[in-house]
Amino acid sequence: MTAETIIQSLASGLLMGLLYGLIAVGLALIFGLMDVVNFAHGEFLMLAMYVTFFLFTFFAIDPLLSAPLAAAALFVLGAVVYLVIVRFAMRAKANVGMVQIFATFGLAIVMRGLAQLFFTADYRSVPNSWLGGKTVSVAGIFLPQPQLFGALVAIAAFGGLYLFINRTDFGRALEATREDPGAVALVGIDKNRVFALGWGLGAALVGLAGAIMASFFYIYPDVGASFALIAYVTVALGGFGSVFGAFAGGIVVGLVEATTALVLPPSLKSVGIYAVYLLVVFIRPRGLFGSM
Amino acid sequence: MTITRRDVLLGAAATAALMPLAARAQTSEVVIGATYPLSGAGAQVGVDAQRAFETAVDIINNDQDFDLPLAKGLGLPGLGGAKIRLVYADTQGDPQKGRAEAERLITQEKVCAILGSYQSAVAVTISQICERYQTPFLSADNSSPSLHRRGLKYYFRASPHDEMFSAGMFDFLDAMKKKGAKAETLALFHEDTIFGTDSANAQTKLATERGYKIVADIKYRANSPSLSAEVQQLKAANADVLLPSSYTTDGILLVKTMAELGYKPNAIVAQAAGFSEKALYDAVGDKLEGAITRGSFSLDLAAKRPMVGKINDLFKAKSGKDLNDNTSRQFMAMIIMADAINRAKSTDGEKIRDALAATEMSGEQTIMPWKRVKFDEMGQNNDADPVLLQYVGGKFVTIFPSQAAVADAIWPMK
Amino acid sequence: MDKSFTERRRRELLVAACLTVAAALVPLFVKNPNVQNIMILTLMFGALSQSWNILSGYCGQISLGHALYFGLGAYTTTLLFTKFGVPPWFGMLAGGAISALIALALGYPCFRLGGHYFAIATIVIAEIGLLLIQNWEWAGAALGIEMPVRGDSWLKFQFARSKLPYFYFALALACVAWFVTWWLEDSKWGYWWRAVKDNPDAAQSLGVVVFDSKMGAAAVSAFLVAVGGSFYAMYVSYIDPGSVMGFQFSLLMALPAVLGGIGTLWGPLLGAAILIPLTELTRSYIGGSGRGVDLIVYGTLIVVIALARPEGLIGLFSRRKGASR
Repeated sequence: MTAETIIQSLASGLLMGLLYGLIAVGLALIFGLMDVVNFAHGEFLMLAMYVTFFLFTFFAIDPLLSAPLAAAALFVLGAVVYLVIVRFAMRAKANVGMVQIFATFGLAIVMRGLAQLFFTADYRSVPNSWLGGKTVSVAGIFLPQPQLFGALVAIAAFGGLYLFINRTDFGRALEATREDPGAVALVGIDKNRVFALGWGLGAALVGLAGAIMASFFYIYPDVGASFALIAYVTVALGGFGSVFGAFAGGIVVGLVEATTALVLPPSLKSVGIYAVYLLVVFIRPRGLFGSM
Repeated sequence: MTITRRDVLLGAAATAALMPLAARAQTSEVVIGATYPLSGAGAQVGVDAQRAFETAVDIINNDQDFDLPLAKGLGLPGLGGAKIRLVYADTQGDPQKGRAEAERLITQEKVCAILGSYQSAVAVTISQICERYQTPFLSADNSSPSLHRRGLKYYFRASPHDEMFSAGMFDFLDAMKKKGAKAETLALFHEDTIFGTDSANAQTKLATERGYKIVADIKYRANSPSLSAEVQQLKAANADVLLPSSYTTDGILLVKTMAELGYKPNAIVAQAAGFSEKALYDAVGDKLEGAITRGSFSLDLAAKRPMVGKINDLFKAKSGKDLNDNTSRQFMAMIIMADAINRAKSTDGEKIRDALAATEMSGEQTIMPWKRVKFDEMGQNNDADPVLLQYVGGKFVTIFPSQAAVADAIWPMK
Repeated sequence: MDKSFTERRRRELLVAACLTVAAALVPLFVKNPNVQNIMILTLMFGALSQSWNILSGYCGQISLGHALYFGLGAYTTTLLFTKFGVPPWFGMLAGGAISALIALALGYPCFRLGGHYFAIATIVIAEIGLLLIQNWEWAGAALGIEMPVRGDSWLKFQFARSKLPYFYFALALACVAWFVTWWLEDSKWGYWWRAVKDNPDAAQSLGVVVFDSKMGAAAVSAFLVAVGGSFYAMYVSYIDPGSVMGFQFSLLMALPAVLGGIGTLWGPLLGAAILIPLTELTRSYIGGSGRGVDLIVYGTLIVVIALARPEGLIGLFSRRKGASR
């Protein structure tokens, strides 16, 4: 094993990890806001990839440019899903947690079925995007441009999200609603509006991730399943509810995945991710950055 | 004893009640089941398979001028012109569901034979159920070599299995080596499923027997979110020939990741699967100029056998795709099964089984590059030779074996 | 109160006995193998869900990794049978014992985790198990293991066409799982669990008891699920890692309980009685289209039931009976 192999592994792992973080951060945001785990998160990603694919196929819009459009489309989807499904799931008087899990799990199945019905089961991909297949080579280390771009977007998104939560009125409303939904009603904040916007924002972030993924990944109705578990582990590793945790969790997952494959057969590389998750929560039961 | 009106009515009623049975005996239609994944990860293959079967049934049921068994004339002449009706069942790629669906098709839909099933794991349970109900099962596209070695009486497979496919690939490599091409070291890249494992086992065995050196044997998790680490190991090993056994999804990601990590293999010789799917070449065809895959089917055959082109057109009208490795085998499975039922002159499982066992179809009567269709005592057709195809200028060209080849292999790939 | 409580429990036992007898008579009239298959799966998933419910419903530790125990049961039985010729009846018990021990070993670190951290830990542990078996050559790895089918035999628990033995076994398993639940409900464990679930902090004052009762729940739950896995392996007579240890099994064990009523005595069986026929029939009758319509119907029903009856469908009955728990 040469130094070059190790550095290349770490570089690939870091880039992939930032993307995992971007995929997961929407999940963390929604969870932080209202303690809901969205089991349709992978399907949100799938839909964003299809949006990007169709914008490319029918209007020749490059994934780079359609990223904001995919984010906007997913924003609407997220808000609608909250208003139509999650809002009612949260009203449940008994075992709210399970009701939410299964309401969103049912939604995930419906979304897969709809994708197969409308988009067919065919495997798609965006063949010639501006960045697709291009790569930057620095001293023998290859950095694929789509992932590089994804990493930049991820960093920008985390920065923006941080400022948004801490510096804007809406961000403060989100924080306040999260801390005490009852009290904010008294000061005239409509809880449902804040939650709907929170869901929209969370979905928009995964929309952004989907657009970037579309430039180098294949697309089909079940594609979300490949990422869903990694996204949950990422969020839990970072600490549920912590946006920064998702960012850090993503990087850790990416690096662990890449380094595991150096020592174990690659078919076991997710074992490394899972083992690190267990190790972290056994030591810190609330993840790396979760609030106690 | 006088026959009253009531007796007559009763008699009529009894006759009417028995009618369906009598009608079934005469058979105006023959029901054949097809078990495929129609939702979930393998759904695309299952949906394409439906189009392939429908193409074959159209040809059998209607009068077509092809040199295929049963193409001419309407329906099955051996059963008084009975038409074939297909019933599909969704296995979702799960052995238990495949088993339940096969049993439902046999007992409820009264199918007289079953075709299937893409995933080899599902074929295991379907063929068990078929054995129990004495209903013939014809593997259209399952390639696990263990399937026909289980001593099942009702199991048949007309197409090659992974060992035959891999032997074809190594015959080709031997021939290339003789011509002076550099093909000493191999890198295996295979998924962690039955397909990947069988393929890698067969290739490892052949490599040892024929003196090739395996410098990397990379087993990866199917549908991984990233293959960078795997590709890096391939790149470090830098073998003369890369032998991937991957489905479409991982195939696309593999080729994209290779390009991104600056790995350009000397030659790719793929175990079909994803590498014979249009979707893969739509996605990454530009990076695969000169890639080689084994196949059961080649459109080049149309030059020698014009009906191949015409049947391809019929299929394309239904599916929007050319016949490929899977759909051609599915098409042939339906033809072979219908031919056996026709010769059995019955929908009785045992008679169809005997007719299948007696099948003797020349290669010219198929759309495949096979010598013939004739099953050995285990139900395997050993005269189905694979071909090797090279992707050149946006389409596949047959390069091996020499009697089927229309061009020489370009080696190393571009 | 005490008297009415005892009376209610006696009535529950009576209802269960009547239902069992009624269920046992059904296959005498229903001979269609497809319907019998659906009934077997319903009873099996009812039993599995009932077992899952002991840990996740009564004790409140939501596990989404019970596929691990299901797979362990299936693999232990199959490996003992195919490699050493041990009859599956012993394999079942061995698989149950191994699973219970593993549940205890895993419970030790995992029960310190709360809520979603625990649930995700159970998912990843089951995934690790799946990956290890998938890479374990001796256990068949990805190729799986096929049970050699050699005619009908009670000793080997193999029957070529008849489904009745499987049906009665599944029925017995469902009865055992129900009875264990019924019995535990009124045991000291049952009280501890409710205390743990309703108010973990107050229960903490009970000290070590909390932890022990969680461990007990995990062991009982794992044992019964493993027996279910052994049964499944014998019934399908072929196993591979994905088809017995995949995440979908963890969900399939949780879903009936959630839909029927989590943490209730009758919920899992009721949920299974609705969900499993629905799953099978949607796949059989609309899955053949290959257009995903079966998924849409199935998913929509889950959403609707989860939203309309958050306490589970059992709520429809308890209101009328006025005996809701």
